[in-house]
Amino acid sequence: METFEEFVKRILTILFWLIIISPLIIFPILFVVVGLLGIDVTIVNEILTAAIDPLKAIKLAERYGLGFSSTFFKIAAFPGFTFAALVATLTILYERKLMAKVQLRVGPLYAGRFEGILQPIADLFKLLGKELVVPEKADKMFFWAAPILSIGLAASLLAVIPLSPTIYIARSEFSLLIPFAILGFSPLVVLIAAWASSNKFAFIGGLRALHQLAAYEIPMLLSILGIVILTGSFDLMKIVEAQKDMWFIFPQFLAAIIFYITILSELERIPFDLPEAETEIVSGWLTEYTGMHFGLLQLGVYMKFYALALLFTLLFLGGWNGPAFLPPIVWLLGKLFFVITIIIFPRAVLPRLRMDQLIRIGWAWLIALSFINIFIAVIESSLGVI
Amino acid sequence: MSAKFVTENQLAKSLKDQFKNKIKEEYIESNRIKISTGPENLKNLAIAVKELGFEQVMSQGGTDYPENNVYRIEYHIICVSKKKLRSIIFSIMTEIPKDKPEIETLIDVLPSAEFHEQETFENFGITFIGHPRMEKLLLPEDWDDIPPLRKDYILPGRG
Amino acid sequence: MQNAGMNIEDKGGDQLVLHVGPQHPGSGHFRLIITVDGDYIVGAKPDPGYVHRGAEKMAEYRDYIQNIPHLERPVIIDATGVTLPYVLTAERIIDVEAPERAQYIRMIMAELNRIISHLYWLGIYGIFLGHSTMFMWPMGDRELFIDLAESIGGTRVTFSYVVPGGVRNDIPTNLKERALKTFDYFEKRIEEYKKIFFNNPIMTARTESIGTMSQADAIKLGITGSNLRATGIDSDTRKDEPYCLYDRVDFEIPTRKEGDSYARCIVRLEELQQSMNIIKQVLDLIEPGPIKQVIGGVMRGEPGEAFVRTEAARGTMFYHIVSDGEKQPYRVKISVPSFRNLIGMTHLLVGSKLADMPAIYWSLDYWPVEADR
Repeated sequence: METFEEFVKRILTILFWLIIISPLIIFPILFVVVGLLGIDVTIVNEILTAAIDPLKAIKLAERYGLGFSSTFFKIAAFPGFTFAALVATLTILYERKLMAKVQLRVGPLYAGRFEGILQPIADLFKLLGKELVVPEKADKMFFWAAPILSIGLAASLLAVIPLSPTIYIARSEFSLLIPFAILGFSPLVVLIAAWASSNKFAFIGGLRALHQLAAYEIPMLLSILGIVILTGSFDLMKIVEAQKDMWFIFPQFLAAIIFYITILSELERIPFDLPEAETEIVSGWLTEYTGMHFGLLQLGVYMKFYALALLFTLLFLGGWNGPAFLPPIVWLLGKLFFVITIIIFPRAVLPRLRMDQLIRIGWAWLIALSFINIFIAVIESSLGVI
Repeated sequence: MSAKFVTENQLAKSLKDQFKNKIKEEYIESNRIKISTGPENLKNLAIAVKELGFEQVMSQGGTDYPENNVYRIEYHIICVSKKKLRSIIFSIMTEIPKDKPEIETLIDVLPSAEFHEQETFENFGITFIGHPRMEKLLLPEDWDDIPPLRKDYILPGRG
Repeated sequence: MQNAGMNIEDKGGDQLVLHVGPQHPGSGHFRLIITVDGDYIVGAKPDPGYVHRGAEKMAEYRDYIQNIPHLERPVIIDATGVTLPYVLTAERIIDVEAPERAQYIRMIMAELNRIISHLYWLGIYGIFLGHSTMFMWPMGDRELFIDLAESIGGTRVTFSYVVPGGVRNDIPTNLKERALKTFDYFEKRIEEYKKIFFNNPIMTARTESIGTMSQADAIKLGITGSNLRATGIDSDTRKDEPYCLYDRVDFEIPTRKEGDSYARCIVRLEELQQSMNIIKQVLDLIEPGPIKQVIGGVMRGEPGEAFVRTEAARGTMFYHIVSDGEKQPYRVKISVPSFRNLIGMTHLLVGSKLADMPAIYWSLDYWPVEADR
């Protein structure tokens, strides 16, 4: 058995020899070709020096419009995809550790010297090393499309969600509505994955997901209407600004609860994890996915997790508002951590619901409660609470 | 008759009154009654035993006796609802010839015998007439040897 | 692209055949062929036999003493529960009787094994309902009882501890204080189990009036053990026909009237408490003395037969041994509780919802290896 450290050592050894050997082969060829043909080599020189000097790399990137303030960087690195993926993987690790503590276990422990901190990387390598099994009878195109669609959808949620007054990818007057419009596509991805797998359990899981997501998207949208009434705006920036004095969780407590429940359902988390209920339908719509396919689907789900937790923070917990001794982004991430914790927690203490119970809660209770909440919001706004 | 096993003796006596010499009392011990009969009377005996209050088949099994050329089939019937009879295991037994291994099923009298009879069928090749599922239950679907609990089936490596 | 997309056999109408097992996270070594119409199960056919090893046939080739570890294999989770009736039957054939102290030790082991088995059941039932904490907690607490049993039997699971004529070795001197300490801890844990699982509103909504079996059906179908007691019949072999020295201890038989999945859960939870209660009493009653009646030479029975039943963790375990005077038994018939409860599965599943399948299936405490033998 190979330990994780040995595994990393093996990979690093291969990389080391690649780095040693490649100049011996590539550079002679390069110089011969360049010298013989008389090509201008400044670009090659710059790229090669940038590869070993980070400061030069930054300058090079800025020259070509890819610097820290560029849109590309915002989309690809911070606060876009890479940051979200990082938060998502850390959420997985945090979830496993938290669950382990509740269940009197230790959780991931061996990868990395401290409390299994490198477990996400170990998992990534494990998933990368696995064979991508595509079932013979699957619809190949859609089967491959589902993981990519899933992660693309989750990443596009982040486009208009700001992290602070200065850190955002794009601004829109309707930045509250756009994420919900994109969320509306997620049942479609699940259905594509389920249908393409050509598996009975996946099919049942897909149908369950469709029922569930359709039943919970309506109360989710209705629950934020109260905030829109109070602020008169669909702009997340303005909504957060309006919470300078009082967080919306106090006047809109009912909405916060409804939104929290619908987040659990949207993320297919216990007690709403029926589409993946493993003792009933193996793994639901994920049944046939292996290796990095599964990894991407899972990453998509956890990026959605991040986006929804972020929305909850912005809508109800005052976003980046806080005393000035800490920068706004720290306040936001602190609140985000708290929200992620309360979203994870039901998994440790609750069993799974049944389909009919879930549908009843969604259509009957949550929708009724969200209408009540809208009335509360109307009364509050006429009384001038906010 | 000893004075010891009062309930057991009463139960056996009531059956003997009903069936006269068609049944034979094998033995009566503490909490154990064993009665044998011919294969043709087994069903009537089961009905009579059920009327006495024994309603559950706890076990049903066969034994192969090659020297007598018979299979012995035994139903162990218990009572769970009446406190007085709970301690007693009532066995009814019959012997059926090996050349014609057939007997009427008891599942219409005692439905709990269903899987037990199916198991006896696959292990001995005894057909229970009237049983809806005379097919393999525990054995592999492609089992093509003789039924394994017969004495002439020798375990591989033990012969 | 031929054969692309949903390729699912057409059963006509909206019916779909699902093979739950033998490779399924919620099946065990066992297959359940389920026909669903929408969300409702319209047909359920159990298909056991994936772990059938022919234990009865193999027992005919082994000596009486060799059969103890052999017959333990089907139910390693409840090792004493399955070997104790065998040994009692063999004792009747060989005509020996265990001394009093050995009988008490056997009771301790049997009850410890019942707790170990029930805790395993509880853990799996938790995960079957999607409650992962309820999977981890009983599995962790089960280790304490395994440790207790290990200090008596020497191994963690397959003890082979009970032998004809007594038990293999004596209990450790500090067993009583260790056991009482464990029980004190576990009593507190049961309260926590109740808080997080048994009184959890979602758990009760998932199990109450699900898989309801009427008393008449339970009797008719031959249901045994906790499943029978959950329908209101206080039948327990330990009281009905006391073996060992169960008539000297005072305990209750937990029953419930409802007969649904929740009733079966609660009955098993209360049985945990009763088992601890029995062990406590036995530890007070037990007195020094011999633990084994030594049988010289090879065990050999008189020609004849014997049958004995005991209350194992899952219900009544019944052995019927026929001897022809040889070293090996002539025929060993085992009637195991799981095999008898299997018939209830079809009965309960048909008409329920697909999501209730795990809630019903595991509430019957069906152990495929035991049923297959």
